[in-house]
Amino acid sequence: MKALDRKLLRDLLRLWAQVAAIALVMAAGVMTLVLAVGAQRSLFETREAYYERNAFADIFATATRAPNRLGDEIAALPGVASVETRITQNAILDIEGMAEPASGMLVSVPDDGEQVLNRLYLRLGRLPAPGHPDEVVVNEPFANAHGFVPGDTFGAVINGRKRDLTIVGVALSPEFIYVVTDLMPDDRRLGLVWMSQTALSAAFDLDGAFNAISVKLLRGQSPDVVIDEIDRLLEPYGGRGAHDREDQQSHAFLDSELNQLQAMSYVLPPIFLLVAGFLVNMILSRLIALEREQIGLMKAVGYTGAAVAWHYLKLVIVIALLGVLVGASAGTLLGRGLTRLYGDFFHFPFLIFRAGVDIYLIAIVVSVSAAMLGALRSVRAAAALPPAVAMRPPAPARYRQLLPDGVPLLSLLPQTTVMIGRNIVRRPLRALFTSFGMSLSVAMLVGTLFALDSVDEMIDVTFFGAERQHATLSFVHKLPAEALYEAERLPGVLAAEPARMVAARFRNGHLERRLAITGKPGDSTLSRLLDVEGHEVTMPDEGVVLTTALAGILDVGRGDTVEVELMEEHRETVLLPVSAVVESYIGLGAYMDMDALNRLMREAPSISAVHVIADASRIDELYDAVKNLPLVGSITLQRAAVEKFRETMAENLIMMVTIYVGLAGIIAFGVVYNGARIQLSEQGRELASLRVLGFTRGEVSWILLGEFALLTLLALPMGWLLGYLMAYSTAEGLATELFRLPLVIQRSTYGWASVVVLVASALSALIVRRRIDRLDLIEVLKTRE
Amino acid sequence: MSDGPIYTIEGITKVYRTGEVEVHALRGVDLTIDAGEFIVLLGPSGSGKSTLVNILGGLDTVTDGKVFFRDEEITAFGDGELTKYRRDHVGFVFQFYNLVPSLTARENVSLVTEIAHDPMDPGEALEIAGLPADRHNHFPAQLSGGEQQRVAIARAIAKKPEVLLCDEPTGALDSKTGIRVLEALAQVNRELDTTVLVITHNMAVGRMADRVIHFADGSVARIEQNEKREAPASIAW
Repeated sequence: MKALDRKLLRDLLRLWAQVAAIALVMAAGVMTLVLAVGAQRSLFETREAYYERNAFADIFATATRAPNRLGDEIAALPGVASVETRITQNAILDIEGMAEPASGMLVSVPDDGEQVLNRLYLRLGRLPAPGHPDEVVVNEPFANAHGFVPGDTFGAVINGRKRDLTIVGVALSPEFIYVVTDLMPDDRRLGLVWMSQTALSAAFDLDGAFNAISVKLLRGQSPDVVIDEIDRLLEPYGGRGAHDREDQQSHAFLDSELNQLQAMSYVLPPIFLLVAGFLVNMILSRLIALEREQIGLMKAVGYTGAAVAWHYLKLVIVIALLGVLVGASAGTLLGRGLTRLYGDFFHFPFLIFRAGVDIYLIAIVVSVSAAMLGALRSVRAAAALPPAVAMRPPAPARYRQLLPDGVPLLSLLPQTTVMIGRNIVRRPLRALFTSFGMSLSVAMLVGTLFALDSVDEMIDVTFFGAERQHATLSFVHKLPAEALYEAERLPGVLAAEPARMVAARFRNGHLERRLAITGKPGDSTLSRLLDVEGHEVTMPDEGVVLTTALAGILDVGRGDTVEVELMEEHRETVLLPVSAVVESYIGLGAYMDMDALNRLMREAPSISAVHVIADASRIDELYDAVKNLPLVGSITLQRAAVEKFRETMAENLIMMVTIYVGLAGIIAFGVVYNGARIQLSEQGRELASLRVLGFTRGEVSWILLGEFALLTLLALPMGWLLGYLMAYSTAEGLATELFRLPLVIQRSTYGWASVVVLVASALSALIVRRRIDRLDLIEVLKTRE
Repeated sequence: MSDGPIYTIEGITKVYRTGEVEVHALRGVDLTIDAGEFIVLLGPSGSGKSTLVNILGGLDTVTDGKVFFRDEEITAFGDGELTKYRRDHVGFVFQFYNLVPSLTARENVSLVTEIAHDPMDPGEALEIAGLPADRHNHFPAQLSGGEQQRVAIARAIAKKPEVLLCDEPTGALDSKTGIRVLEALAQVNRELDTTVLVITHNMAVGRMADRVIHFADGSVARIEQNEKREAPASIAW
């Protein structure tokens, strides 16, 4: 080993604590990068492979009743590779030992068991046999939640008839990786039930017909043209508009998860690398200042400026590589862990881990670059230092009066405080960056933990402000308005309110969205409309009310006109004025006065769902009654879902908070520890002199740590502001048509973020304090700096 | 001279252990120093004089023996008591001044007067130490070596300490500047009745002392009592 490399090694060992602190900050950056990209890619690849192997369709469409020959016509469309016609319906399931009714989604499989598209991944048993109409396959999560195995039975109300179904198989499906019942997935409450085509067509009087179709496109075929053609073909048969994968619930939700991981890989690593670069800059400029004479000597004996520069660059490269090593290992491990968690959550039948070599190369390149950029200035200075100048002591530091002479304020301050002020003023950039580095730590906490406040707000607004019903009973098809009275008479129902849903397509120029118009009575009190401020909006008698998200997508506002194509029975296109815009964080919504909607449909008052408030003490009676109501297709239990959602949130909360507190702590600790160590190296002699003069350990520590206390305090408001901006862009970035996060940051979130950073700073200060306590008082008297 | 002994030193030894090597810095020193005395410690490097002064100043501990400051055994003090002892009773002047670079001359003195019981005004201390008034608001980097040492002396005397311990106060100065610094020390001893101990390599400085204590190999080799103290100005080197 060359002598210089040996020096390098010893420098690294001597500076181990600071090297470790910087490498840790780098490691955190690399870890988040590898973790997020690794998990994102693995999940993406897993999903793609799953789709490919099980022939997940590209286009989905539903109709009321379409003759089977239409399937052949659609199959013959240019660009279409294959189609599968199906029957899908909702049903209420009655499961032994479960008080509340479960919701079932019935999906047909071809009688011959040869699924062309959306093929089931059978985990247990077999597909239903022809001629056995009560044989079903259920999805694995549902089976697991109830301990079902082939041979078990459960009850279902299918098109008004109570039937006992026998499980013959347990399966997974690429089409239903993520399914929502009430608010989030609930394996217990939602069952996917695959039955033979013959059985379902008999049950729903759909002989020779289908009500759903899946289409696989030829490779490279754009879906838009085919969607238009399918819509045209299905229109006479109650077609509700075809859509591609983007609008398929399971696919869209997975996309949003993948986007979140991607966002994480864009936002977090740069923060750590920025801080690490700054720390490298601080430590290296101090090291070079201390080794000034050695640099002079090296040059005097003939080392070139470039050799000196390379020597110091090697030091920071080693630090960066240490960070990459730790970060990449942790990231790979945690990435696999996270992928497994997601895998379990989504019930993927298999997992493909794929981080990719490139991400490790990227990690190395960006980490080393960040370190080298941080080192650039001081290394350049070292390379340029003429040996004769280097051998002389550096020019003394220049200090300036904080205020002009004679200003009395200064004379009131103790000199120890004046020292703090002058140190900050002497190196304003360093002070600024130290403060900025810590503020990033605060910002990271505010910018991530705000999500908890926002979700709380979302729940409050959605379920305690707008949708205040405890449950919603949706009918298999629309019913006369009188059905409401029957619902009111159900046991345990305290209040009931009707709703009418009509499938529609909204258009403004080339902008369009497919969604149901929800008709509500003008005086509704359960399901209410709220404006952006959370105030109740009275349903206007005329016109349509849009949610802000939908209004944004269609680029319309109050007073504008929007084209609405009604997609049930009397299909026609009408122009409706936008009479109000309301806030909603979940999905897209369009609302009308129920009477106005009925008039528009030119039909007798009818309803498609009833919202109810239930007496909690009689809820089981209500559940029992619902299980035997022939016309209820599904039941949504909002209130129960909110409770469950909060529980799940609370579980995830601990992990999420731990991770982000740890990461933010690493930044705050790294910045304060390194800063204080360097300051101690610069001021150690001064502080020891003061100890000799009779200053106590506490007083001397204050001079050094007081500066960091001040910079930490300055960092807090800066961090709150940056955190707000981060939260803002996160909320914007994560907004999808499925859900949006309202930007809400509680004071307590700012408070906790500040506490974490204060504690991390205090801890690192305490460690440095121990070094101040051990200052050598005698050595200092003997040496000139 | 007055008040009896300010320091009573009883058989102190000091052994430093560095790795496997033992260095006997002091090998049993007995000494009495009277209040108000001006003492010069002479001897080659490593003879133990700095170790003694560090122990007297409460900066270092003994391996064996006792040191009394008046009636108090400072060798029995803990860190907190030693800090208080230094703060209340001892002034230090170092070879390299050890001023705080971020504080002006006056502020460097204020630094100490702020924590002292009955200090003099920083300006007065600087005047006694001989720093011209127009230099009081200069930072150390703007002062010459001699001026910096005067600030250090002013800082040491401003709290009116009973003892002034000076380790090579002229070591980094040219002779002319050195003499001015010595004059300041003599003046402090004379006017404030402060006991002064000065470590030096310079034999000539001994002529301004009441007593000259010669150190060799960790022990007191001999003690010279001067009949008459010479003025620093008459000392040349």
